[in-house]
Amino acid sequence: MASSTERRGWRIGVDIGGTFTDVVLWNDAGGALRRDKLLTTPADPSRAVVDGISRILAREGLRPSDLSSVIHGTTLVANALIERRGVKTGLVTTAGFRDVLEIGREWRYDLYDLNITMPTPLVPRDRRTEVGERVSAAGEVLTPLDEDSVVAAARALRATGAEAVAVSLLHSYRNPAHERRVGEILAAELPGVDITLSSDVSPELGEYERTSTAVANAYVLPIFARYVGRLVDELRSMGFAHDLLLMLSDGRCIRADIAARYPIRLVQSGPAAGAEAARLFGELADVGDVLCFDMGGTTAKACLIHDGEPERTARFEVARETRFAEGSGLPLQIPAIDMIEIGAGGGSIASIDARGLIQVGPLSASADPGPACYGKGNDKPTVTDCDLVLGYLDAGSFLAGRMTLDKAAAEKAIETHLAKPLGVSVVEAAWGVHETVTASMAQAASIHAIERGLDATRFAMLPIGGAGPVHACGMAAKMNIDRLVCPVGAGVASAIGMLAAPVSFEVARAAPVRLDAFDAAEARSLIETMREETRALVTGAGIAEADVGYRVSAMMRYVGQGYEIDVTVDPSRLETDGAEMLAAGFAEAYRARYGRVEAMACEILSWRVVGSGPRPPLGSALGGAAVRLVELPTPTGARPVFFGDGFVETPVYARAKLSSGQAIAGPAVIEEDESTLVVPPSFELIVDAALNLVANRKMLP
Amino acid sequence: MDPIRVGLIWRRIEGVVDQVAETFLRAAFSVVVRDNYDMAFSLFDSQGRLIAQSKRSIPSFTGTLPRTLEAVLERYPVERLNPGDTLISNDSWIGTGHLNDISMIHPIFRDGRLIAFAGSTAHTVDIGGAPSPTARDRYEEGLCIPICKIVEKGEESETVVDFLTQNLRQPDETLGDIRAQFAAYRDCTAKLMEMLDDEDLADLDGVASEIIARSEESMRKAIAALPDGAWCDTFQTDGFDHPLTIACKVSIAGDELTVDFTGTSDQVPWPINCVLNYTQAYSRYAVKCLLDPEAPNNAGSLRPIHVIAPEGCLLNARSPAPVWGRHLSGHYVPPAVLGALAAVVPERAVAESGSPLWNVYFSGKRGPADESFVKMYFMNGGHGARSVSDGPGCLSFPSNVSNEPVEVFESQTPMLVTEKAFIPDTGGAGRNRGGNAQRIGFRSLSEAPITMTIRHERVTYPPRGLLGGLPGSAGIDLLNGEKLAAKSRTVLKRGDEVVFQTPGGGGLYPPQERAPEKIRTDIETGLVTREEASRTYGKFD
Repeated sequence: MASSTERRGWRIGVDIGGTFTDVVLWNDAGGALRRDKLLTTPADPSRAVVDGISRILAREGLRPSDLSSVIHGTTLVANALIERRGVKTGLVTTAGFRDVLEIGREWRYDLYDLNITMPTPLVPRDRRTEVGERVSAAGEVLTPLDEDSVVAAARALRATGAEAVAVSLLHSYRNPAHERRVGEILAAELPGVDITLSSDVSPELGEYERTSTAVANAYVLPIFARYVGRLVDELRSMGFAHDLLLMLSDGRCIRADIAARYPIRLVQSGPAAGAEAARLFGELADVGDVLCFDMGGTTAKACLIHDGEPERTARFEVARETRFAEGSGLPLQIPAIDMIEIGAGGGSIASIDARGLIQVGPLSASADPGPACYGKGNDKPTVTDCDLVLGYLDAGSFLAGRMTLDKAAAEKAIETHLAKPLGVSVVEAAWGVHETVTASMAQAASIHAIERGLDATRFAMLPIGGAGPVHACGMAAKMNIDRLVCPVGAGVASAIGMLAAPVSFEVARAAPVRLDAFDAAEARSLIETMREETRALVTGAGIAEADVGYRVSAMMRYVGQGYEIDVTVDPSRLETDGAEMLAAGFAEAYRARYGRVEAMACEILSWRVVGSGPRPPLGSALGGAAVRLVELPTPTGARPVFFGDGFVETPVYARAKLSSGQAIAGPAVIEEDESTLVVPPSFELIVDAALNLVANRKMLP
Repeated sequence: MDPIRVGLIWRRIEGVVDQVAETFLRAAFSVVVRDNYDMAFSLFDSQGRLIAQSKRSIPSFTGTLPRTLEAVLERYPVERLNPGDTLISNDSWIGTGHLNDISMIHPIFRDGRLIAFAGSTAHTVDIGGAPSPTARDRYEEGLCIPICKIVEKGEESETVVDFLTQNLRQPDETLGDIRAQFAAYRDCTAKLMEMLDDEDLADLDGVASEIIARSEESMRKAIAALPDGAWCDTFQTDGFDHPLTIACKVSIAGDELTVDFTGTSDQVPWPINCVLNYTQAYSRYAVKCLLDPEAPNNAGSLRPIHVIAPEGCLLNARSPAPVWGRHLSGHYVPPAVLGALAAVVPERAVAESGSPLWNVYFSGKRGPADESFVKMYFMNGGHGARSVSDGPGCLSFPSNVSNEPVEVFESQTPMLVTEKAFIPDTGGAGRNRGGNAQRIGFRSLSEAPITMTIRHERVTYPPRGLLGGLPGSAGIDLLNGEKLAAKSRTVLKRGDEVVFQTPGGGGLYPPQERAPEKIRTDIETGLVTREEASRTYGKFD
């Protein structure tokens, strides 16, 4: 056991999903990766986190004080928004502008749908109040803040029972003084109510998108802050001595105390970590183009990693009115890894729709009560129930036997709600659900790739999440993808991704200036300050100062344009040939994006500094011994599994016993603790040097 | 061709068009393109048939661009087109109906063979000249760019660019947008080539034929499902100096549908006349939305729909009629079609929205250098009530123009926006209520005078309710609290304040049928006042 030889450098990654909480433990000095999976505890999610950390440490004979860092990600924020379970939120705006949140941008996201549904704002009109004040576009105060009106607004909000308040005043991205003062008065008038300022959470031009982001932050803040506060306290009382870090939607980190103020930036925290893991696994398998398919308990998501880099976005939407329709959700201005929801999760409930067809989701049985087979009181069939009936999952070996599934309950749920009404057998109904889910995910993922101008068939599929490997081969076949890489620990990939990503923080500052008026000394000093800030954050997370690397960039555009591009900057050249470097860098980046340059003046809008620690050498932990000669492994058992035409007696292998170089022809089922890879008869697989299962479609049937 | 494969290729084409439109928006130099989205990007096959358009687009533009391409090919037959050419024109009669929309066509070649056309249209705020609400002919309205090659074999034409530069007030902005479209054509070409390679196709024509045929079949089926017959709708519009009549007859015979505007008022000597191309585009758009919203929109969807408007009428004006405000007539086309068909498909009816689209032009001096500027601001009214739900407040229909963020507007204009809010009691009552209108105010902060031009409709005749629903409220224009003529030009001094109240959406079905809990919510949110609710709905709690 490593604990006897190495007491330092242990790190933990924890991911809370709708159904499971995943924990992984690893030592930076090397060695194997340990992992565990627990049911999420929705009433108090920190319980599963603390239990999981205690359990994995106990198993390894470690103490919390041996940990150098804990990195955490969660879908709590996203779920609270999607299910609209946030707190009663109020909004304070500049007088005359309280309806901006509901008026939105006035455009129709579907040109032909006369019955289009626009997103319902998180704050209804009677909880939107106004205060007297006005700041100009240049940031000058035109009308001083009427503090009496703020007190009146506070009282009106108190009367509505608001538990959180967002403040969004015009031009606060330019001059936040009024917003700050409103925040102070509200804090005094409304003790116990959490306040979000738009200039803090999203200091960007555009009142609708900024207000929407601030409101969404306020809406989830009390729930999230309580949760994080409890978690920090419990970790501290366990004896953990460092900052708790949380993973942001763009894969970077943030300290728990800061995260508690900006929970909206964590809206995609877990999936972003999943994408980081997929990048790592792809690297190990020597695959640069990866379609990461993440199917958990509640949702399935897809993310494209092109040439080893996840696609990124600065605009983002949650809680769409129309599934998959861009423009129908609540806009958020936060940096994020670009991924889309492509369908339901294992806990999603299957039903029969108005046309008499099988429909899966959007309702989910989540962790509690969970699928019917969990035997916790839900009698409606879920995707997991169907996977159990089809033999993909095993009642006895689910979660390594730590949880026994009730197959009879699954059959009964399918019988009552699907098979009988449809007039088919239980197995046929279960197969119908499995096929429906798989086909719709395949279609949505293909479209996602296509819309980004990429051809999904050239990508390798990398299934993660508990339910991912169960559905992956079927989905790959439908997408014409020939190759799958099923990594070690696919079921806890997001948690692995938290350890795989370098500890990284970004600091951005607006400093608009035309390039012909650029002041090198000023820029240099600003960048120095930003570097210092970043350095403090990264070293605070346990990284040695000497190991911190920096990337400095300028956001630039032609004067008159509205969107910037990111131009890499060498700070040491700023005072020698800074303007020339920026002009050349901008021209190069612009040409790469648009294929041309213009003979026009350009300008700098803002600077960014990213400080990162080294990329943890996690690959070695996941890598295995060298490839041996191909040999056939011995199954640990066999069970009947349904593959469309009927049940086939199918060998079952324990993943932990497989070694590199071994080959298996489908049909087969490979079980590991947190997930199960189902290999249909049309696939064959080999175990590669890194112990990834690489499945290929058989060339001949 | 395998239908699954066609489906996937079609989706990929749609994806390419949307991404390319995004390239254009991100490289654009004007607010009217990147914030108002007053643009469209379309793709045509080698025969000039419309295949797909960007999701972000103005419906009339996607409908007028096929005729623009046809006119371009009449002037420059295929044998006169070379790889690297881009053609331009803003001729109102072959374009969108006024000079401010510049359209361009870019032929796409593969191995020396013409395989497709990319086309786009974008609004430019200034097009030179002296467009005014009282212009008497098209020549006053600005520069007409005849069909010509702005790029020939990859080289920008200095002559064309010089003509534009010398005739426009903001040439950097307009040419910046034009060049952003060049970037989009390049992107479109690269992505199409990659797709054709991946799919092992020589061109788009096979796939195009397939999806066009499917869309045509889908539209024909939707029309054939309705009874044969003819239905009419006739109503008054504000007009310029006297009310005008829009008369619309929709007739269905088998799987074909004809929209006929015979009986509509004659064209007038003021710039509110509409060209036939625009009338046709919005007629077909309305039918598509009502009868077959889900099938892909392309040349096939349009084929079974015929549009008649007698030459010389308001909706088919003869040159050189002034047409700057052609939407002031043209935006009545969809409500006329929907109004006529409400009797046939009452379960799909939509009441009238607070359009023709409202906008305002400001011109003056800005900044320390007293640089002259021309700026426009769009304001949508309430959407009409739908059969399934209330009309949303302030939603663009039939156009699809976004608002410009107040913060962007103020950073470019020496003016202050004093308010932007819903106006209570403006949505027409009904079982389903019309959407609320908005009030928006502007105050001049400029020492130099600002010239303001407005051209607003629905000030006399508000949006109608349908099938028992009540009308929405009429619009109002105010200068320092005094009513202002809806089509007028005014000079604003520092401190002057103008307030616009857009029209509210019409209601649908009788108000007596409105659910009491919906009325209570309306009162709680303040979208309807208690007094108005008691007056319209009587007893409800």
